Amino acid sequence: MSSLWNPDNVRDVAESVGISQMNKEVVDDLARDIDFRVSQVIEEALKFMRHARRTTLHTDDITQALRVLDVEPLFGYDTTRPMRFGEASIGPGQPLYYIEDEEVDFEKLINAPLPKVPRDVSFTAHWLAVDGVQPSIPQNPSTHDSRNTDLLPKGPGANPSLSALAGNDSVAIKPLVKHVLSSELQLYFERITTAVLDETNEEYRNAAYNSLHTDPGLHQLVPYFVHFVNEKVTHSIKELFVLRQMLCLLEAILRNQSLFIEPYIASFIPSIITCLTGKHLGNSSDSPSAVYSLRELAASLIVSISQRHGKSSHTLKPRLARTLLKTFLDPTKPLPSHYGALFALQRMVGPAGVRTLIIPNLRLYDAILREGMADDVKRADAEQVISVLMAALMVGASDVVEGANGVASEPELRTRLVDKVGEVMGTKVVDSGNMKLVKVVLHTNIDI
Amino acid sequence: MSNPPGAPSRSGSIANGPPSAGVAPGAGNQLPSTPSTPSQQNLNQIVLEYLSKKGYSKTESMLRRESAFHDAEGRPLVRRAEDAGGKMYERGYQLLLDHVSDVLEVYKPELSRLLWPVFVHSVLSLARSHYPKDSETFFNKYNDRFTREHQSELGQLQTVTAPEHVEESSIAKVYMSNKYRVTLTPMAYNVLVQFLEQKEEDGGSVIIALLEQHLHIIKAERGGPGAERSLAAMLARGGEEYDMPAEDEGIPGHNPGSANVDPNAPNKLPKLLLAAPPLDPDAMEDIRAELIEADTRNPPRPGQSSLLEEFEQSIKQEPQDEAASRDAVPLPPMMARDIAMEVQNIREHRDRFRIDPKSSGVGPGVSVCLYTFHNTHNSISVMEFSPDLKFVAVGFQQSYIRVWTVDGSPLPILTPGQVSAVTTPVNSKKLIGHSGPVYGLSFSPGTPKPSEDSPNTNSRYLLSSSADGTIRLWGCDMWTCLVSYRGHDAPVWDVRWGPHGHYFLSCGHDKVARIWTTDVIAPLRLFVGHESDVDVGCFHPSGIYVFTGGDRTVRMWEIQRGNAVRMFTGHTGHITAIECSPNGQFLASADDQGNIIIWDLQPGNRMKRMRGHGKGGIWSLSWSAESNVLVSSGADSVIRVWDVLLTPSEKSGDGLTKVENVVSAAGATGAPQTGSQKKGKKDVVVTPDQISAFKTKKTPVIKAMFTRSNLVVAGGAINELSH
Repeated sequence: MSSLWNPDNVRDVAESVGISQMNKEVVDDLARDIDFRVSQVIEEALKFMRHARRTTLHTDDITQALRVLDVEPLFGYDTTRPMRFGEASIGPGQPLYYIEDEEVDFEKLINAPLPKVPRDVSFTAHWLAVDGVQPSIPQNPSTHDSRNTDLLPKGPGANPSLSALAGNDSVAIKPLVKHVLSSELQLYFERITTAVLDETNEEYRNAAYNSLHTDPGLHQLVPYFVHFVNEKVTHSIKELFVLRQMLCLLEAILRNQSLFIEPYIASFIPSIITCLTGKHLGNSSDSPSAVYSLRELAASLIVSISQRHGKSSHTLKPRLARTLLKTFLDPTKPLPSHYGALFALQRMVGPAGVRTLIIPNLRLYDAILREGMADDVKRADAEQVISVLMAALMVGASDVVEGANGVASEPELRTRLVDKVGEVMGTKVVDSGNMKLVKVVLHTNIDI
Repeated sequence: MSNPPGAPSRSGSIANGPPSAGVAPGAGNQLPSTPSTPSQQNLNQIVLEYLSKKGYSKTESMLRRESAFHDAEGRPLVRRAEDAGGKMYERGYQLLLDHVSDVLEVYKPELSRLLWPVFVHSVLSLARSHYPKDSETFFNKYNDRFTREHQSELGQLQTVTAPEHVEESSIAKVYMSNKYRVTLTPMAYNVLVQFLEQKEEDGGSVIIALLEQHLHIIKAERGGPGAERSLAAMLARGGEEYDMPAEDEGIPGHNPGSANVDPNAPNKLPKLLLAAPPLDPDAMEDIRAELIEADTRNPPRPGQSSLLEEFEQSIKQEPQDEAASRDAVPLPPMMARDIAMEVQNIREHRDRFRIDPKSSGVGPGVSVCLYTFHNTHNSISVMEFSPDLKFVAVGFQQSYIRVWTVDGSPLPILTPGQVSAVTTPVNSKKLIGHSGPVYGLSFSPGTPKPSEDSPNTNSRYLLSSSADGTIRLWGCDMWTCLVSYRGHDAPVWDVRWGPHGHYFLSCGHDKVARIWTTDVIAPLRLFVGHESDVDVGCFHPSGIYVFTGGDRTVRMWEIQRGNAVRMFTGHTGHITAIECSPNGQFLASADDQGNIIIWDLQPGNRMKRMRGHGKGGIWSLSWSAESNVLVSSGADSVIRVWDVLLTPSEKSGDGLTKVENVVSAAGATGAPQTGSQKKGKKDVVVTPDQISAFKTKKTPVIKAMFTRSNLVVAGGAINELSH
């Protein structure tokens, strides 16, 4: 087998034109010649492919090549319609391939409805790069795709900073600059961290917070403080004092006007959320009210962050709200967690948020409340939750104008309220006698 | 040395060859010996006995020696490689291959350059001498080595198996009618010749014959014309470029850069006039007046130079090269429109995003705006933005051109007689006229209007070239075809306007590039010399030279005299794009193997090779206004930005420190190199002079262009089929 072209085909063609006897050498020679001619055509066709700025050969290219070589082109092949090959068997293990060529019925073709007009060629513009950096917009490949290292030079002489800029720090190239802290700053950091954890000396603590709150030169230390807080919160979940001090520390840093805190917000939010909705904060000797006040502190921190920094990161607020709502709707979480989540949520999202996020979920939540009220151990917690829910409803009702319309009779109102928000809360609302509350609950569209 | 390996093939090749087996060397001299075997054996015996009896001892020993090469039956033993029939090339080539791999490390890169021409000529010789089977086995055995550098040639060579193919195949024609030029140092050459003469009988003579017949070996000292072949340079490259051809190697056979293909041509290059020709003094005055007016209307912001200062500065700048006189290539006198364009050019140049020549290591951060075309069904073959960024024209496989306004505003269409848009305004128009796929498009020079009351300075004409062999000129007012230029009798691959819009260049399948002017329908100049298609072309910014790329060479032609002044070889793939730098000093050319080469025009040598693009073609190159940054784009859907001025040698300082640096660089890379070498063969190596690479989602980028303000505008059709 010396040629790619099967010599048997040559024999078949010869027989078809009436030459029955052919020397084997002649057949082989012809087959090789066919090889050569075909490759000549392909070589020409590749030129057309290249000039059409493609990397796949089309039948059009072959047609053009044949024309250039002064050969009659093959008609009837179209690139836009993919070639379909049929398979038939002429014997065991001898498949025969052929091009499927449908017979077209003119009658049908003429009467067929016109095909859909294909969509017109159009173009869109976007920034592939701005000042040498690819913006992460949907039109560009995601950073994960483009972070493959083979786009950038490697090896000796390659510029390491280029690679670092592209986010390839992991490829054995560490950023060249080490973060150097002056010894004064290190000392300061040590002093502050011991001071805030000093349970005995309140004055010392306050001085530390004051310093954190006012000192303009702390920017270098922010990541260290964030790390310190995260670590303490993770490891001292049982110590209410430590948790509270950590929240105070964060608050002091947040209030410091001279710090550019935005890049770090994402990294200390988890700590605050832990203090807000954690399952078991403090140990059994701590009074429940102390735990609740910690949660309230955390909640107010979250709220102030979302208000102050929500503008710079437009996803911050929705993300926080989603996290809190999830905690609230998770029946496996204990009631105090729900309390924390609700407390922060109702203050963060405002009246409209309460109406869309909290009220519609109350009817389902009723089961948990009832269970809590029935259980002696949990009753106190349940009452706390009810009180925060009432507060939430008040928030929800705060921008509702009180109507002077006639009021239905109390029993009827009660059934309607119970129907809307469940037994426990329904009763509470009616008992409160606040018609604004009743109204907001009744008028909230529950089936969102 | 034994007979068996030769025997079967001999019979095979005789059986396969045509009856006139006498053509095959080595086949003829053994046929008659077979029938007379017994008598000859006896005869020798008798004669020897006779000679010894008579005491002719010298004659006897001579006869003994000469008859020793016959086996017991009197058939001659095959000792000489030439007698092995079709196998002789295999033996010879294997000999050369073994030698190249055994030889001292210093000679290896040079000698390995011989392998390719010897391989080609072995294959061709086998085909010519009716050894189709041997030719095939030879090809299959040894072709692996060249797949990287000579892929397309291998494809063409593979099917050349008969004498008539050698006559017809384009590659065979090129190799048979030219001598392949290789430069060797005298030491390497002597080592090779000594070795081949020593092993003459084992195939050395076959190789020597090939070398003498088809190769032109230049003996040059290291550090001579091929300075990059010096030992230090080779060490510094860490062996990565052994498999890339030298600048002066190959078929045209010329001194580096020179277009003179006479083998005895002196290594001397004609001087080039690369600076821009001076402006007409009257026009200069007009421009000054306009600039002063523009300056008073829009006074420069604080810290900004006035337009006039900018202009004076550009004139005063000491040109590094001599400039041609203004009438070297005659141009029509400057009109008000040209002066307004000049003013706008100066303004854009002043307000550009500056790319400093010595950037701080990271390189400038350029901005790229990408125009993605949808619903094209792979039918776009070419794309071009007008220089004023008003229009984008796209050529389709279906023989039409479509023009859009870039910003989506209605396309200004002038209907004869009145200036109105009778029909609803549209932002695109189809230009129908060609009868084959459109492969080349070019807008005439244009700028946005410098001011409200200035004459219209937008691009006025669009040129298109097509597979139907015509070039068409379209007016940008009415969007109708104005002229059809016929001259090429085969597809026209590329068409380009000259820098002042009066002349244009076309390149075609007929191996000829032509210069035209719009008002004459016959070409003014024909540039003949390329061995195969002229794929791409471009003008030198001074307008007195043009460049053409094709058959793996880039040639520079002088328009006035019509002769070639430079020729650059070194590409290993088909050239897909060339572009001259705005300062006229450098030329960038790219091929479909992913290489970009920067050529320094005046000394006529290769400055560097930049790699990083994948295979499939780099379709577009463009220079920044300062001529220090190059942007490239292609089939691999990546736009890459390159630092042109960062040369490998720049890093190694000068003088004594150079050697140290070279050594340390080689030492530092030594350890990882061995590991990465194998991988590097497959992976695309990105050279360190790449500044950045921007990957598109699925859009092979057909066109990427620096505007005069150094913004990159790019366009491509999203590949809808791939998902």
